[in-house]
This record gives sequence, C-alpha cells and structure tokens, in this order.
Amino acid sequence: MKKKLICIILAAVMLVASAGCAKTQKSSDHLQDYVFTVRYHDGFNILQLTDLHWNVNSSTRSSEAYLDKLFKEADDHVKATQGASAKIDLVELTGDMFMLANSYHLSTFIEYFERKAEEYGFVYAPIWGNHDRHALYNPKELASRFGSAPHCLYTEIKDDLYGRSNYVINLTEDGTKNTAAVWMIANLDSGAGFSETEYSPFIDYDYIRPEQTDWFLSEHALAGENVPVIAYYHIPQDENEKAWTAVSGGADLKNKFFKLEGFADNGEERFASDFIDRAKDHNLKAAFMGHAHNVDWTCEYEGVVIGLGVKTGTELYFAHIHADTEDEAMKAGLASTGITEDFDLIGASLVTLTGSDGSFDLEHLYFNERESGDFSVWVKW
Amino acid sequence: MVMKKLFDRNSFVHSGLDAKQKKQSLCVMAALSVFFVLSAFTFMNFLYCLSDCIGSIVCASPDISLRDAQRSAPIFLSFFMTLSGLMVAHTFYRNESEDVLRKKAKKHAIIGIVIGAIIIVYVIAMRIAGKYLSLVEGAPSAIYPLDSILYSLLFIAFGIFVLTYFKKAAGDAKYAGPSRPRLQKKGAFVRYIFRTLWLMFGLYGFCGFFYSIFIVDFTNGYVPYAIAIMLVSLVAFLSIAVWELLYNNLTPDVRKEITLPLSIVSLVVSVVSCAVYFLALKGNLDGPANVGFGILPIAYSASVNFATFLVVATPLIVSVTALIKGLCRRKKTAAK
Repeated sequence: MKKKLICIILAAVMLVASAGCAKTQKSSDHLQDYVFTVRYHDGFNILQLTDLHWNVNSSTRSSEAYLDKLFKEADDHVKATQGASAKIDLVELTGDMFMLANSYHLSTFIEYFERKAEEYGFVYAPIWGNHDRHALYNPKELASRFGSAPHCLYTEIKDDLYGRSNYVINLTEDGTKNTAAVWMIANLDSGAGFSETEYSPFIDYDYIRPEQTDWFLSEHALAGENVPVIAYYHIPQDENEKAWTAVSGGADLKNKFFKLEGFADNGEERFASDFIDRAKDHNLKAAFMGHAHNVDWTCEYEGVVIGLGVKTGTELYFAHIHADTEDEAMKAGLASTGITEDFDLIGASLVTLTGSDGSFDLEHLYFNERESGDFSVWVKW
Repeated sequence: MVMKKLFDRNSFVHSGLDAKQKKQSLCVMAALSVFFVLSAFTFMNFLYCLSDCIGSIVCASPDISLRDAQRSAPIFLSFFMTLSGLMVAHTFYRNESEDVLRKKAKKHAIIGIVIGAIIIVYVIAMRIAGKYLSLVEGAPSAIYPLDSILYSLLFIAFGIFVLTYFKKAAGDAKYAGPSRPRLQKKGAFVRYIFRTLWLMFGLYGFCGFFYSIFIVDFTNGYVPYAIAIMLVSLVAFLSIAVWELLYNNLTPDVRKEITLPLSIVSLVVSVVSCAVYFLALKGNLDGPANVGFGILPIAYSASVNFATFLVVATPLIVSVTALIKGLCRRKKTAAK
C-alpha cells in the first residue's frame, strides 16, 4: 500500500515537473514564426479597443450591446469619411480585455468578436494586459482559444522572450509573405507585475524588457529597415511621463486629449524600458497603449506619436467629463478637443494608414450610450 | 504511542454508537463536507465580485462600484446563504445538546430561507426595474441571475426540510449522533471572531488549492512557485480541517493528551510549507503574475501580495495558538 502511494505521488510530481520542461525556442532563430501578414491598402483602418475589463460583475448583454453600437459608429464613420468601400481592417485589443473573469466570459468574448469580424470584415489582434492573467481561466486557455479563432491574429510561442506573446503583423501588398512589407504593426506583451525583492509584498507594474526590443529590431530588419512601424502594447513606458514632464515644463510639443490621472507605469528609472529609445531610430512612427482609463493623452515626443487609446466600455472605472469643471487637467482636455458638453471618457481610437511613407491619421471616438440618443464625437489628432 | 491512540476508534466521540447513530453521524459529516465545498466556491465568487467593486472605488468610480454591487448582490447574498447551510450542518456535527441543536439549527435554517427569499424577490424586482436586461443576463455564468434563483430555491427547500424535521421529531426519535462538549462562554466574542477568520482562511485555502489545479499555467515556467503556493493553500485548509474536525471529534480525555504533540506536528508542517514557499518565491520575482494566479483576487486587485502572506501565515498562527494551549494544559495538569 505504502509503495503504491509513493509511486502515485512520484508520478504526479514528475507529471507536474515535466509540464514546464517543453523545449524553449530561441526567438532570434525563428523570426518568421512571429509574423502574420495582412493585405495593405492606403486608408487601412486600425480600430484600437482597450481595457474592456469583462469581469465577474459584467453583464455580457450590456457589454455586447455597447460594442454593437460602437462598431456600427466606427464603420459608419470610415464609410462617411473615406468612401463606401472603406471598412475597419484591423481591431487592436490592447490588453485588459478581462479582469477576474472566467471561461464563460472568455468564450462569450471570442464568439462575439468572431461574429463581428465576420459582419464587418476585419481581423483582430489581442495583446495581453496585466489583468488578463488574473482570472478564473487558465491563461493557456485564453492563448489557445485566441490562437484557434479563425479571425484572430495571435500566436504564443514558448520562447526566450519576456511575456506570453509578442508578434508582428506585416501589412504587405498581397497579404502574404511573398511581397514586401509596407507597414509593420508590432504587438508587444508589456507584462503584468513583478516584485523588486524576494519578500516584498508589493507588486510593481511591468515594463518592456531589453530582449523584447532586441527581438523587435530583428523582426524589423527582416521586414526592411525602411518599413514604418506602429507599436501596440498595454502598459505605458517611461516616455509617456517624460513627454508629460516636458510639456508641463513648457516644451512646445504637439499634444492633445485628456490626462486625468497618472500613467500607472513602472515609474522607476532603473526599470525604464529601452523600447521607444531604440525603436525610434528604426522607423517607429507611433506607440499606442492602454492601462490608465482616465488618460487618452497623446504627444509627439522625439519623432514618435505616443498615446493612450480611449478606454472602451463601462467596466471597472472611467472619467466623467464635466463641461463646467474647475479642474485644470479636465479643462485642458476639453479645450484640446473642443467638446462643450458633459460626457464619459469611453470609446475607441482609430488609426488610418494614409501612405507607405509612414503617414497616418489618428482620431479618438468618445462614445456614450444615452437614453435620449447616443453621444458620439470624433476628435482628430 | 500517541499516534496509535489517535487512530484507536475508542478515541473518537462517536465510538460505541449504535448502527443508526453512526449512519446519522456519517450523513452529517457528508453534509458538512458538501456545504464546506459550496461555501468555498461561493466565497471565491464573493471575493471576485468584491475585488471588482473595491477596484472601482479605489479608482474613484463609486458609481460603477455601486452599479456592479447591485448587479452582483445575489452573488454576495449566495455566500451568506450557503454559510447558513454550513452552520446548520456544523450545529448537527457539534450536537452540543438537544436544546442547543434545535435552537441553533432552526435559527440558521431560517436565515437561509430569508436570504433565499430576498435573492428571489431582488432578482425579480431588478428585472422589472430593467436593471437586468433579461433573466439570463450573462456573467458570471451563462444563466445568471436565473442560476441564483434556482440556487436559492434549493436552500429554501433545505431550510424547510430542517424546520419540518424538528417539527416531526418533536418528542419522537431525534438526531442521536455523537455529542461534543458545549463551547466555552468565556471569551465567546473573541472566539467567535477567530473562528470566523479561521473558517474564511480554510475556505480560501481550499479554493486556492483546488482552483489552482485548473487555472495555473504550469507549462509557462514558475512550476516551483506554483507548487509552493498550492502547498501553502492546502496546508491552510488542512490545518483548519484537522483542528476543527479531527481534533474536535476526539474524546475530551484524548484531546487533552494530544493537544501538545498535535500542535508540534502542525507547527513543523507549517514551518516546512512556509520555508518551501519562501524558497520558491526567491528567484521568481517577475513570474507569478504571468502564469495566472487568479486564486488571489484581492492580492492582485490591490497590487499587494498580502493575501498570499495571510494564507502562508494562517497555519503558523493556528499551530502556535494550539501549542500555547497545549503548554498551558500541561502546566495545569502538572500543577494538579
């Protein structure tokens, strides 16, 4: 009996131990494994949805109803401004799609995006946020469900890179790897959290690690040094704060939209990421992220447009903007957008790639459901 | 010698019972286990909903917190309703006296019925008011809040069964399972607080262990950390189970004798699990948050890992308390 018991325990331990022993791939030797391709055309539209935060308290019915209206609004807008053939081509989900959610939310979410992708003809690309790991599903399940969804661009390779998933979407002339990339969209996993010391009870926000930057530069070199790039990730890096400090100090930098709280980045110089520092010399045109719901402030800093997307949906928290506010930060945001009525800071962001020379347009959509008629305002960058 | 005595059937309070009594005793143990598991699951749902609500308040959106709390009120209430069932089973388990059993079990059964009725009325009212778009609104399950109505009906039926049992059994054959000494009245409030906390950590530890089997990604590295956190969760749960169920199931004489040695064993196990946890934590500084530790909702919502430290510390606190108790008892016995 004792022997049997020992055998069972040993087998269980070996099974668990072997689970973590799958071969780790060296990312630099398999650069092609991280590349998706989509057909490029001038007027390529990327809709950024961020921080949806489906959680145990979310009503999937209400959330879907909001998104239904949002997609219709975005589709109507691109058709009205770019012509009847224009459509949303790519939806970037920049993290925190979930928080404290379970497998039911995951299934419902993916089924919903598959339906919408079919309806509007887009593909969608999810990026990990810090809260997507804090749930009642196994993160592996999320990866496998996204990985197998027909309209979803997602890959998760067991490799030497930090984070669960880093990949690029090359926009090529014919949508395959046979033609050269015209634009590159880099999707990076900015992690979740880490402790600075072994026994610290505090968890710091994560940051993009140097090996991720190395990998990105290799992918970019493979696609072509002249290919313009837009990067999407979840947690703002140190450049957002640097840009804000510069603007607050009187620097004449183009900036717009709202900054009603901190960026919730790592905030420590020793953990500052080198991503934008190095990528800006390799044709990085813009970097968009999420994470801080009360911020969609965007600034052109050292040649790169850096900004947070507009938080999507009403889950967790968001700012209520009051037109008659005394708050200086809110006043500045209102002045930059020209909006003169009360609204909630939720909606989406739209990037339109206007040429292969790296030019693009950026618009923020503030979209609120209202019984008296929905509030919908597009503000150009 | 001690261990031999521990497993001697005559050391247990239900030794020497007749067949019917033993059957009843087993049924109560089974009911206690079922209600414990249900309580653990509903407790985790409770914590998840609470974490989200607290998150909204911390982020200065009390209106969103209130909206979510309204939406999830049946989940919050379900936990307390399940606890009432657990308390009914526990009252039968202790069976302090015929009088106490009837009074306490009835009280808890009525609490369960009332909470169940509140949930049903609440959901219907919210549906009529348009706060729920439908009876199958979705989240946290596909048929929420309908499932909370069905769950409430189950508890109302259970409560009615308990009340009917006492009505039918009045003057006839009553529950005759093993009886345990009455809880001391001295320091009752402090004991009540500690026992409640103890129960919460037991529930948390159980879920921590059980859920992590399914939700931790063991293939993404950090296996030692994952195993360590499962171990401390299990020890937190077991330390409660051993002291509340095994220890309290012993005859008073054996309990007096065994308190000290059992507390030493408990302390050694706690210290070892703590050491394993801290050793595993070392070198996993940027990992755990990446592999899915949703078992610790409060911890990650607050960006502070304190929940883990509480789970780690619980068995230690329990063991040290028992050790002090054992030492005091030995001193008293020696003085006599």
